[in-house]
Amino acid sequence: MDLRGIVSFNAIFALLPILAFAQASVEGRVELAKSHSAPVMEKRYKIVSIGGVLATQPPLAVVYLDGSFPKPKSPSMKQIVQKDLAFLPSLLAVQVGTRVEFPSLDDVYHNIFSYSPAKRFDLGRYRPEERPIPSEVFDVPGLVVLRCDIHEHMRGLLLVLDTPYFIRTDEEGRFRLSGLPSGHYTLKAWIDSKTTREKPVDLKRGATLHVDFP
Amino acid sequence: MSFRTKLLAAMMLVVSALTSLGLYLSQRTVAAGAERDSQQNFQAELSWLHKIQELRHAELAERCRALVAKPRIHAALEDNALDLLYPSAKDELRDLMEGNEPSPEQEAGTLDAKFYRFLDGTGAVLSPLNPKDVGNLSGSAEGQLTFKNLPEMQQIGYLSESGDVGGETVDEVMVVPIFSTETGDVISALVVGFQPFELARQRVGAGIKSGIWLNGRLYLPALSKSAQAYLGGEITNAVTKSDRTQSNFAVSVNGAPYLLFYGRLNPDSLFPPAYEICIYPLADLMARLHRLRWQIGGAGALLLLGGFVASNFVAGRLSAPVEKLAEDSETNRAQRKRAEAALASTSEELERSARYSADASHQLKTPVTILRAGLEALLTREDFNPEVYHELSVLLHQTHRLTGVIDDLLLLSRIDAGHLQIESEPINLSQIVEEWLDDLGELPDSLDVKIEKKFPAELYVAGEKRYISLIVQNLLENSRKYNRPGGRIRVAGHRNTDKIVLNIGNTGCPITGDEQEHIFERFHRGSSGTAVSGNGLGLNLARELARLHGGDLRLVGSDDDWTEFEVCFRVAQQPPSRAAEIV
Repeated sequence: MDLRGIVSFNAIFALLPILAFAQASVEGRVELAKSHSAPVMEKRYKIVSIGGVLATQPPLAVVYLDGSFPKPKSPSMKQIVQKDLAFLPSLLAVQVGTRVEFPSLDDVYHNIFSYSPAKRFDLGRYRPEERPIPSEVFDVPGLVVLRCDIHEHMRGLLLVLDTPYFIRTDEEGRFRLSGLPSGHYTLKAWIDSKTTREKPVDLKRGATLHVDFP
Repeated sequence: MSFRTKLLAAMMLVVSALTSLGLYLSQRTVAAGAERDSQQNFQAELSWLHKIQELRHAELAERCRALVAKPRIHAALEDNALDLLYPSAKDELRDLMEGNEPSPEQEAGTLDAKFYRFLDGTGAVLSPLNPKDVGNLSGSAEGQLTFKNLPEMQQIGYLSESGDVGGETVDEVMVVPIFSTETGDVISALVVGFQPFELARQRVGAGIKSGIWLNGRLYLPALSKSAQAYLGGEITNAVTKSDRTQSNFAVSVNGAPYLLFYGRLNPDSLFPPAYEICIYPLADLMARLHRLRWQIGGAGALLLLGGFVASNFVAGRLSAPVEKLAEDSETNRAQRKRAEAALASTSEELERSARYSADASHQLKTPVTILRAGLEALLTREDFNPEVYHELSVLLHQTHRLTGVIDDLLLLSRIDAGHLQIESEPINLSQIVEEWLDDLGELPDSLDVKIEKKFPAELYVAGEKRYISLIVQNLLENSRKYNRPGGRIRVAGHRNTDKIVLNIGNTGCPITGDEQEHIFERFHRGSSGTAVSGNGLGLNLARELARLHGGDLRLVGSDDDWTEFEVCFRVAQQPPSRAAEIV
């Protein structure tokens, strides 16, 4: 784990000049729905359903560059933990082929499953000390609604994207994607389960494009 | 009719009346009680049934609600994974469907489902991949499940279905809406079918049979098909005529009486109305009543018999003294009649003898008067020699004696006949005694009797003067007649509390003990009597008269040279002078 971190750290540093000078960037702001809830003190988001639309509360968006990119040579690994009977993070974007681990930090059983078309899986019941940590590889792009069979209120969203270029906005909707290849692409902003906005972008080497999603 | 018979008849009448009244009342009470008991029994059964049903429905609803809250089912419906709906439900509903294979030891009316289905958002049945897992359901029954719009409330409904064993049957279904956790809309519904409690539960006590009426048909397996059809029609009539959700009426099935109760099973349901039907056999009640009537009748008969025996006994006991009384009174009457007859004859005899005595006296007086008149006429003649005159005067004297005797007899006969009436008035006895003593002193006498007097000047007695006077005269004459020469006569009078007592004593030859017993008899003469003039009636008459005046005459004593009589009279209420003053 540590070794891998060092390696990637080194790789980033090695690529940094190229990224900085040879690659394009996009920054901008996604117009998010007004949040009616109090300002979030801890970075805890919950999935709420309003009119059949799943979104985080407070709202967050995922901005990604849609296109045809080579698959990563080695599958990456992400984590969504269950803590205090909630998924953390509640919204996670991963590239296709990513293995996601679902460790539990609660002292109760969980049974994470999904019936979403993008991924149907069922981890079965397990306790926090379960090893190996139950995990699943997500190799079909799409939105995966995570549920717990034991705690019916628990919801998590996993956005599986067929691109390595994606980023979650902050609470104000601001984002910055860098290290993008130049060319014509479509920049998409996933706002909720029913809303994905998109804009065509013409990325130029070394330039930073400003794109706002109204 | 004897007293005893009458008494017995009356008592039997009373006993019969009381018994029949008692029988009537007890029969009525018992009949009402039996009916009330049956009704209560029936109502208790019904309320028990309803309570069980409520509990069962509540339990079923709770289980269904728990099922439709399952995340997998929601996931299948909400995450567009309908293909996973039934497989997920299969796991989740497994416990509910476990009783799908009915086992004999399983209690009827369990919570095990016969089938289940999901409805989609349009209200149509979502077809299962493998119907075996979710319970078979005929197409027609499935058609009955379809809704135009999904219900937002839980519904209870009943479906008629042709059962696998042949006959049609009814399924009870519970429809539970499933709300989307995302939209809050009704996105589906779970339909769970059960065997209706009413049809499953056939072993209830008290003979209650239950079934279901649905769409004009009655499903009551305990009854024959024809009876079901007949009752179904009856219930249809009752249900359509009345808008009451529950009621009851009496019906007759195959000649046996039943009480039929119907009540709406699924009020406010989107399903067609179904009614719970309970029939309660009245035959048992009737039989019980019949038996009770017989028992009461038997008891009444026994009671009546006992009453009759008792009244016979009591009548016997009661009438015995009365009968004895009647007998006794009969005897008494006979005795009285005899006595009366004897009395009558005695009285007649007395009357006759008294009349005889009176007649005799009158018949005697006339010849004596004629005789005396003749003798007195003869004495006036002067041509007889002196012996003849002496003889005539003796004869005349005898006529005077005869007159005295006749007068005395006349008086006695009147006393004997009870014809002598005393006109009582105050009489001064002292005065009468004085007058007679004066007369006595003037009699030419050789005896030289000394008279002693010791009485107050006034001694008023109640009586009639001539009879009082006669008594005193008799006693004083006797005291002189039976005295001795140189003897004495003592007359003493005094007043007692309520009597005036007069004692007259005289010296002379005493009356012997034997004679004392007879001196008051008529025509008795003392032993020395022949020498003394008298007719032997004086003392008897004096005593009779004294007694008639409420007094008496008795011999006080007679011994040596002293004989004393005592006569007593009633005291006069008041002396004549004062009476005059008052008048």
